[in-house]
Amino acid sequence: MQNQVENVRLEALKAVEAASDLESLQQVRIQYLGKKGSVQGLMSLMRDLSKEEKPAFGAQVNACKEAISAAVEQKQAELAKKAMNARLENEKIDITLSGNRFQIGTQHPLMLIQREIEDLFLGMGYTIAEGPEVELDHYNFELANIPKDHPARDMQDTFYIDPNTLLRTHTTAMQMRELEKAKGRVPIKLICPGKVYRRDDDDATHSHQFMQMEGLVVGEKITLADLKGTLTYMADTIFGGGRQVRFRPSYFPFTEPSVEVDVSCPFCNGKGCSVCKHSGWIEILGAGMVHPHVLEINGFDAEKYSGFAFGVGLERVTMLKYGIDDIRNFYTNDLRFLKMFDRYD
Amino acid sequence: MKLSYKWLSEYVDLSGISPEELARRMTTAGLEVEGVEAVASGTNLVIGEVLECWDHPDSDHLHVTKVRVGDNPEDVYQIVCGAPNVRAGLKVVVAMVGSQLPGGKILARNVRGQDSNGMICSLNELGVDKHWLSEKQIAGIEELPEDAPVGEKDVFGYLGLDDTILDVSLTPNRADCLSMWNMAKEVGAILRREVHWPDYAGKSDVGEKGDFRLALATEKCSCFYGKVVNHVKVGPSPKWMVDYLHAAGINSINNVVDISNFVMMETGQPLHYYDLSKLPHHEITVVDDREMKMVALDGEEFDICKGDILITTGGEATGIAGVMGGEESMIDENTQAIFIEAAHFDQVAVRRTSIRLNLITEAAQRFTKGVEVMGMRKAMDRSVQLLAEYADASGFEETIVAGSENYQPVVVKETLTHCNELLGTSFTMEQVEDVLTALDFQPEINGDEILCHIPSYRIDIERPADIDEEIIRLIGFDSLQNTLPALSATVGQLTPAQKLRRTIRDTMTGFGLHEIVTYTLIGENFVNSAYAPVGEAIALAMPMSEARKYIRTSLLNSVLECAQYNRAHQNVNNHFFEISKVYGKGVEEERLAILLDGNVHDDPLHGHVIPGDFYALKGMITAWLEKCGYNASRVHFNENRRDTEHFHPFMSAEVWIDNNFLGVFGRIHPEYERKFDLKDVVYAELSLEPLFHGKGSRIRYSALDRYPSVSRDIALVLKKEITAGQLLDVVKKAGRKLVRSSEIFDIYEGSHVPEGYKSVALRIIYQAADHTLTEDEITQAHTTILTSLKKQLDAELRA
Repeated sequence: MQNQVENVRLEALKAVEAASDLESLQQVRIQYLGKKGSVQGLMSLMRDLSKEEKPAFGAQVNACKEAISAAVEQKQAELAKKAMNARLENEKIDITLSGNRFQIGTQHPLMLIQREIEDLFLGMGYTIAEGPEVELDHYNFELANIPKDHPARDMQDTFYIDPNTLLRTHTTAMQMRELEKAKGRVPIKLICPGKVYRRDDDDATHSHQFMQMEGLVVGEKITLADLKGTLTYMADTIFGGGRQVRFRPSYFPFTEPSVEVDVSCPFCNGKGCSVCKHSGWIEILGAGMVHPHVLEINGFDAEKYSGFAFGVGLERVTMLKYGIDDIRNFYTNDLRFLKMFDRYD
Repeated sequence: MKLSYKWLSEYVDLSGISPEELARRMTTAGLEVEGVEAVASGTNLVIGEVLECWDHPDSDHLHVTKVRVGDNPEDVYQIVCGAPNVRAGLKVVVAMVGSQLPGGKILARNVRGQDSNGMICSLNELGVDKHWLSEKQIAGIEELPEDAPVGEKDVFGYLGLDDTILDVSLTPNRADCLSMWNMAKEVGAILRREVHWPDYAGKSDVGEKGDFRLALATEKCSCFYGKVVNHVKVGPSPKWMVDYLHAAGINSINNVVDISNFVMMETGQPLHYYDLSKLPHHEITVVDDREMKMVALDGEEFDICKGDILITTGGEATGIAGVMGGEESMIDENTQAIFIEAAHFDQVAVRRTSIRLNLITEAAQRFTKGVEVMGMRKAMDRSVQLLAEYADASGFEETIVAGSENYQPVVVKETLTHCNELLGTSFTMEQVEDVLTALDFQPEINGDEILCHIPSYRIDIERPADIDEEIIRLIGFDSLQNTLPALSATVGQLTPAQKLRRTIRDTMTGFGLHEIVTYTLIGENFVNSAYAPVGEAIALAMPMSEARKYIRTSLLNSVLECAQYNRAHQNVNNHFFEISKVYGKGVEEERLAILLDGNVHDDPLHGHVIPGDFYALKGMITAWLEKCGYNASRVHFNENRRDTEHFHPFMSAEVWIDNNFLGVFGRIHPEYERKFDLKDVVYAELSLEPLFHGKGSRIRYSALDRYPSVSRDIALVLKKEITAGQLLDVVKKAGRKLVRSSEIFDIYEGSHVPEGYKSVALRIIYQAADHTLTEDEITQAHTTILTSLKKQLDAELRA
């Protein structure tokens, strides 16, 4: 009888080993461990044994059952893993196929650079002013120290609508509105970006419509050196770090002293290249200390307060930054052009 | 202005300062030099004499010459010359072999069998501007005087062409530098060198009282200096004067006219010399109340209006004051006596007249930019001096003065402290005094205080800030540190409108749209076909072209034009947005335009192709408004009852938030888009004003649902014309609180559905916040919904 048990065990283990898939293994399990299986058959032999013999035989059959169960479980894990591997392999994909085409749009390059400069000044505690493009002569010229028949009006050919109304020729008009609004109270720290218009024939370097961003600070003891420091930060923001800023004397009716501002050429680091015409510097904007007369006519005590102002042409700096050779690109809006400016840079 | 280096050096010592160095120093000090150009150029030149000249045997126009360029026998060269005026005995300019001329290098050559060792030159070949040369000089070689020194190598020095012209771009405030004398003062200050003006003062204090009378009938002429000169001899000007005038860009006429121009260039004061015989009344009255036609010096006829200042004699106009003289009283070769005018005319009046008549003369430019009142006396003195010397002038009468200069010397007080405070510098009093002295401001120092006595010609200096500018520009801006304003802290933050614009940009680019900026100015056709014009279009008073005549009242046509351009350039999937103001008379509005042309998701490989159609655009608008705080309960899409001219009447809608109309969106009308060669584009133009003025809902936390939801799908058969909106509305109302959401997930028409009907699959989600719904509750709610659908929409459950 003992041999009988051993035979069942050996036979079962062999059958388990031979099972090639989960289904045949299941058959084997039923054949040996099922209710009518071989192991159960061995148990039925117990009836014929004496009381003394029963425990030993029972233990033997149980051991046999456990051995078979263990073998089945092990085999089952083995086969499951094999089946999973086969399935995964079957699911293989071509990873070189392109991914889904997600399209991210772009901000207009002028808006992109405007936003970068805005963020710099917001971080320094400036606010952003706004004003109308259809503007009064009063704000565009009169308050900016450019009375009627002032020769400086020749510098800016103006689109007039009627003798008192025009398309603003510079964002200075917004500065004047803000000065008026402040009613002599300081400090004023603001930038004013926007579209401006001048009677220019459109060509590669001229546009009858363009964008400016001006800045204005008024308070106690504001200095020309403060202007230089501020503009150095702005130059770094536009062209990347490490820029140097240089002032050259100039003239604007609303500032005194007035300066043209050059920045050390970002392409050659000031060594001289074709972009800077081998001078090491590129001119980017005009600036100066707010003219005392402008402060006075806007109701500020020019003895007590001083201020600086600057104005940058966004097309100009964007063209310089990216080497864009035709200003009309900004207004033609060719998709191929727009897509080049897909990030802050 | 054109600045002659040589002329300038008459007044200020420029030794050791090259023209290029001078240009650099001037630019650094604020007088920007845009170009430096030699009047003539060429190396290895020499003055020679043509000894022999014969016709070239193999040419019908060339000559062969023997030219002597020195005293030794070996200094004779054979040169082939093509000029018609070459002949034996002529003194000429010779470019030797190896000479570098503007047109190239001179080599020893063989010209049709004849050796040629050099070139005989015309002035044009030496780079002299044709403008200053006669036709004969341009056509042939330059004929030098008989006494020209053979062998002289400083040819340009001999010819007076050894000059360099600096092209100075003057800022409007520095009109004083339109005077050579004042320019010399400026350069002297920059270089810290002495400046010497000619000794002219008091030269016009000669002559007896005469009968000439002056009258000023307008305040626009504050002062008028006049002088009769009874004898002048008209003839050619001295060569140096011609050269200097040429350098300044002025043609030489004759000695008398040239002197008037030369003195204007020196002093900055415009002058006019009249032929005295053509002023028979011996009287001049300045008026500004005439309306007439008159012929000016250049022979053209001009319309004179009230306000133009006129010079009249015996009631007849003889000059447009400060702009141009009249033809009648012009100086010519027969002039024997003259009357000199040096007057001060109103800046604004001259500017208006000169611009209106388009006569931007040297005189007008000066008056327009501002002339010092003390210039009249200077110019009169200098005129008398030069006329006596170069035009044999005599018979001077006493100078007549009408009006007065009313000159008040300007004194400006500044302190060193204020100067350093404004500039952010730490200049010493020594540095500041040095600059102010160099500028001839005669500074008086008293402790911290500096008193500046401004020279009469510096009419731009009025205030302490002007003094500070002089100081920094002459010491140099390199002395400035980099600092930041030391102010009480301020908060830099965006306004709600600015935040909203950023939200738009971020959302739209997230949808894959590209931002465009199009022109504000448009033509009449675009105005006439505007979508929802904000008002009556504003026209420019003087447009540059028909296409840029009006300020746009809507964005539609500009954006369609942009799409048209992109299609024409084979760009596909052109999805754009623009944020811009539009203007009408007395009104402005900010708008957002969106255009979809093509697929918004275009990925056939992975089976995702989403067309840019009405629903794509509606989805974008819905999602964007939600991002702005306007969820579905506040956003309404209504039938388009406003614009079926630009929009497809059945594929467009109005969008509203609360009770505010934003705009129409949808398919562009096929007939309208055809005008732009477009097809199947969708467009939205929405006003942003309600968003600027309205209030989006705040973000609100609500506890996450703790009890499970149950979903029920139903398929309904209902009439085709019943809209999704109607259907969902019934579900919402009938389901009351238990319906958490409901959505349509399929619509079917075709077999098994009767004609005129559609089958709609609907998923309803039931949920309660405070308990798990029981089967009874759900069934009851569901039955109520089905009953309502049947009753209100005649919708049947599909079998």
